[in-house]
Amino acid sequence: MSPLNDDKDSITSSFYLTKQTSFRIAMKQRIGVYICHCGGNISDYVDVEQLSKLIANEDNVVISKDVMFACSDSTQKDMVQDINDQKLDAIVVASCTPKLHTHTFRNVAIRAGLNPYNYTQVNVREQCSWAHSDKPMDATIKAYGLIRAGINRVKYSEALENIEITAQKAVGVIGAGISGMRAAVDLARMGNHVYLIEKEANVGGRVAESGKLFMTGENGKDVIDRLYKRIKEIPEITVFTNANLDKVSGSIGDFTLEVSVKDEALKLNVGAVLVTTGFDFYQPKEGEYGYKLSDNVITLQQFNKLIETSNDKLVYNGNAIKSVAYIYCVGSRQSKGENKYCSRQCCSAAIHSSLNVHEKFSGVKAFHLYRDIRTYGKQELLYTESSRKGDIYIKYEEKEPPAVEVKNNKTVITVKDYLTYKKELSFDVDLVVLVTGMVPRSDSNDISSKLKIPTGSDRFFNEIHPKLKPVETVIKGVYIGGTCQGPKNITESVQSSLAAASKINTILRKGTLELEPIVARVNAETCLWCEKCAAVCEYDAIKPIESNGKMIAQVNTSTCVGCGICGPVCPSNSIEIVQFTDNEIESMIDGFMEKAEINTKQDSQENEISSGKQIKLNGFPKIWREIASALDDKTLTIPQLSEQLGVESNVLTWHLMTMNRYGVVEPAGLDEDEAYYMYKLKK
Amino acid sequence: MPENISNKYDAVVIGGGIAGQETALNLADMDYKVLLVEKELSIGGKMIQLSKVFPTLDCAACITTPKMSETARHPNITLMLNTDVIETVKTNGHFDITLNIRPRYVDEALCTGCQQCEWVCPKVVEDSYNSNMVGRKAISIPFSLANPKIAAIDMEQCLHCKKCEKVCVPKAIDYNMQPKRVNVEATSVIVSTGFNLFKPKNKPQYGYGKYPNVIDAMQMDRLIAPTRPYNSLLRPGDGKVPDNIAYILCTGSRDSSIENAMGCSAECSNNPICSQICCMYSIKQAQLLMGALPLADITIYYMDIRAFGKGYEEFYQQAKSMGVNFIKGKVAKVTPKEDNSGNLILRYEDVATGKLKEVKHDLVVLSVGVLPNSGIVKTFTNQKLELDDQRFIKQVDELVSPSLTSIEGVFVAGTAAGPKDIPDSILSAGSAASEAASYIKRFSN
Repeated sequence: MSPLNDDKDSITSSFYLTKQTSFRIAMKQRIGVYICHCGGNISDYVDVEQLSKLIANEDNVVISKDVMFACSDSTQKDMVQDINDQKLDAIVVASCTPKLHTHTFRNVAIRAGLNPYNYTQVNVREQCSWAHSDKPMDATIKAYGLIRAGINRVKYSEALENIEITAQKAVGVIGAGISGMRAAVDLARMGNHVYLIEKEANVGGRVAESGKLFMTGENGKDVIDRLYKRIKEIPEITVFTNANLDKVSGSIGDFTLEVSVKDEALKLNVGAVLVTTGFDFYQPKEGEYGYKLSDNVITLQQFNKLIETSNDKLVYNGNAIKSVAYIYCVGSRQSKGENKYCSRQCCSAAIHSSLNVHEKFSGVKAFHLYRDIRTYGKQELLYTESSRKGDIYIKYEEKEPPAVEVKNNKTVITVKDYLTYKKELSFDVDLVVLVTGMVPRSDSNDISSKLKIPTGSDRFFNEIHPKLKPVETVIKGVYIGGTCQGPKNITESVQSSLAAASKINTILRKGTLELEPIVARVNAETCLWCEKCAAVCEYDAIKPIESNGKMIAQVNTSTCVGCGICGPVCPSNSIEIVQFTDNEIESMIDGFMEKAEINTKQDSQENEISSGKQIKLNGFPKIWREIASALDDKTLTIPQLSEQLGVESNVLTWHLMTMNRYGVVEPAGLDEDEAYYMYKLKK
Repeated sequence: MPENISNKYDAVVIGGGIAGQETALNLADMDYKVLLVEKELSIGGKMIQLSKVFPTLDCAACITTPKMSETARHPNITLMLNTDVIETVKTNGHFDITLNIRPRYVDEALCTGCQQCEWVCPKVVEDSYNSNMVGRKAISIPFSLANPKIAAIDMEQCLHCKKCEKVCVPKAIDYNMQPKRVNVEATSVIVSTGFNLFKPKNKPQYGYGKYPNVIDAMQMDRLIAPTRPYNSLLRPGDGKVPDNIAYILCTGSRDSSIENAMGCSAECSNNPICSQICCMYSIKQAQLLMGALPLADITIYYMDIRAFGKGYEEFYQQAKSMGVNFIKGKVAKVTPKEDNSGNLILRYEDVATGKLKEVKHDLVVLSVGVLPNSGIVKTFTNQKLELDDQRFIKQVDELVSPSLTSIEGVFVAGTAAGPKDIPDSILSAGSAASEAASYIKRFSN
């Protein structure tokens, strides 16, 4: 029992006697509970079958089932049918994290005519079976508690309607590199106004600074010129250069971007924001592979400029360059350093530069000092071509990196080559090119704090999920594309920003959008407008309003994210989060703390005894009947059966497993050596 | 289903794998009418066969089944399954597409997917969903997570014993069902036909098809999956719990020495490019195997480890620290150990020492590569849908507009344009949807 329990009724009664919630929540009486096996992810550790039987005895629970995949289409159909047939007024699904399937089951409720907010998801996978895979018994007890908590919560659940708001059909795109420019084009073509905001004096970002690009051989500047020409032809795109994003306020559908362009301050009203701010190149530290200690050590970007600007001969600092050593993974894949990640595009970029050298100048020898060559996909053809041209590849390991020293005016490289049994090689080259990786932009903290975008352990901006929501951030209406999210090549950057453009268009296309009603709610009677809630609100969502002759707090429901920070600071307990009310939370604690009596798995399986009934296999393959009669009342392994029947063991495996699948045989534990399963006839 | 739907669509998406679903959903969410054509009996593509997916180790079903569900149920999406594209003709700026719906011999509207027919059917056939490692019945649902979950009869294998007809309560079995031609009109076409896996028999020195304990990586993914074919993780040769597993990376990728490459069909030709996914799926499987078989030794024989995506390098380092053994060396040959144990001998050159070595393993997994699946180009008759040198759909403006093809109004999504992992396929699908939506909008204005 919760110590707060005694006070609960008094708080509740005063709380709900307000205008907006003048009703008492009718407790849900007919609850359906579904516990998911998740194909073993849950049921391998949590005894879901037993739990579903126990849960069936809970108050107000009408149906309790365990299901293989709650999210599968057939189970969803069953749920809809159960809700209709059994007149359920609430459902609980105990499966994985609500991050994955909240909408899946809300939609089930909607299809069955149930309010989607009369459903509660209980996480018994990430927060239970996976976390406690070493203690199945305890995992089962915990899952029992979590499910009971979920049931108690859903009893207090309210039927809610989504909040509909106006969405500005305009998008702010931050950063006019190739990703931002390309997304701007499609966003405009799909019917949105676009404000393309660029910090620098020119559009085009890193691509505009690049020479010849790998895969197509186009020149970076030409690509940007072509794209910019297209942008200028589209009246719905407004480009601001020399523009600085000062402040962002508002929320999905209605953001205000305060932008200063030179001396002018602008306020742009947009429905969504796409962040395509790009990356910085890693800057080698002084002394890193001789950088800044020797004039002959430069980065790949400097080298590309040199290739671009040299004619006839490759000359650096007045010296003809006849040999180049490329050192890969500079600033990337640092297992002990801060950049643990691979920068993805540098292998191809460096090899492509080497090919450009061969194309433009003759007689330049190339040494590639690499860890793994990552020319994935069709980029492999660059690597093949470079090898064919006679480039020399030397593999080093992170623990034994190459040394670059200046000896007698020569730049000498010493390295252990893992391709020739760690033989130590020492040779001098005219130029050392450091193949540097990508790092988050130096101003990315500024952007992330203005837009509240979280960053990952690699310090790049983070998506919600790489497969489910790859361009969405936790801030509704704020999307990311291109390399601000992590290293990418040009095609990949454009693909991600266009994917974001698609998602943005799906939310803005109607001019209105629906938001979840899980926001703060104020009790107008008890609120005294002490301003404490407004002071802690990070989203600027609480403002005063006059009501019945006094000032009270009012929540902007499209700005409020339902974070709940306002609740605890309120001295009169007058603000609460819908779906997270005191009633709900306290009843969850009560449910979780209730005593749990669970049988161990062995006990519950005790009464499973084979009946020895004859299995009818008429018309089935002959080998099935032979296997069945060989097993009869014995348990045998596949090699034993194979020998007995004179059938090849792989053929026997195939048939036995098919018989297992169709319930003719079943496994009966491992043999003594724990190498083979034994099998017996099923009932 | 098809008959009561209009035959005009804003977009026809060909191929219902993850890229096709994602493209269709994006367009449908923008209120465009989409027809999704799938040649198999269920949508889901390759991804629905997988166990878990890198680098997050989410179970593939957890990502895919909701997406399949959403696709199947979206009011703006019409599904056509078991359907082939016969011809696509571009006229007056739109596409006339002829489709052939093959009969499944089970009425989709009546079948409940109860599987009673499957249980009584006496005819056992190969289960392709499980890479033929187990049998299913001549009448069966395509697989447990299929969408729609409706039975179908493999008529070539059917014994016509009529047992299924007798047990079917809703009377859904129809042995006389005929193929059906459908003509539709579309403003745009999205090609998301995916890829083929390299057939490891075309690398005969690795013994696939000859030695039952040499399997390909898709078979291993099935063995690890929650919907796996066996009761546990066992080798197919004799049901032994494996304890010393080898991976041979780059099987059929980065390889210009594939035998019989000249003059044979696409499936056994040389494949000079990298397949982009095999390093990572092998590392993923290795991590999952470490969990499933804590005592097993796992060795990955590789040329380069290409862990290039977000979080991939970290995932690779994690596998190393878990104890997965990585050996740089190309395997020359796999032979059986001559003691009838079913074990195998790998002969390889260990690059680190320069020595030729022979090592015993009890299960060998071939990390097979990605090959194009672009037969669809033949159905574009009056304009040419071009292929690139590797026979993937050609991206005519790869850097700036990666989904554009040689025909205006036809877009490419996912691995139809080249090898991609799942996150990249999904992004490419989003990008194709953006291009297609922009095109449709211009066209309809």
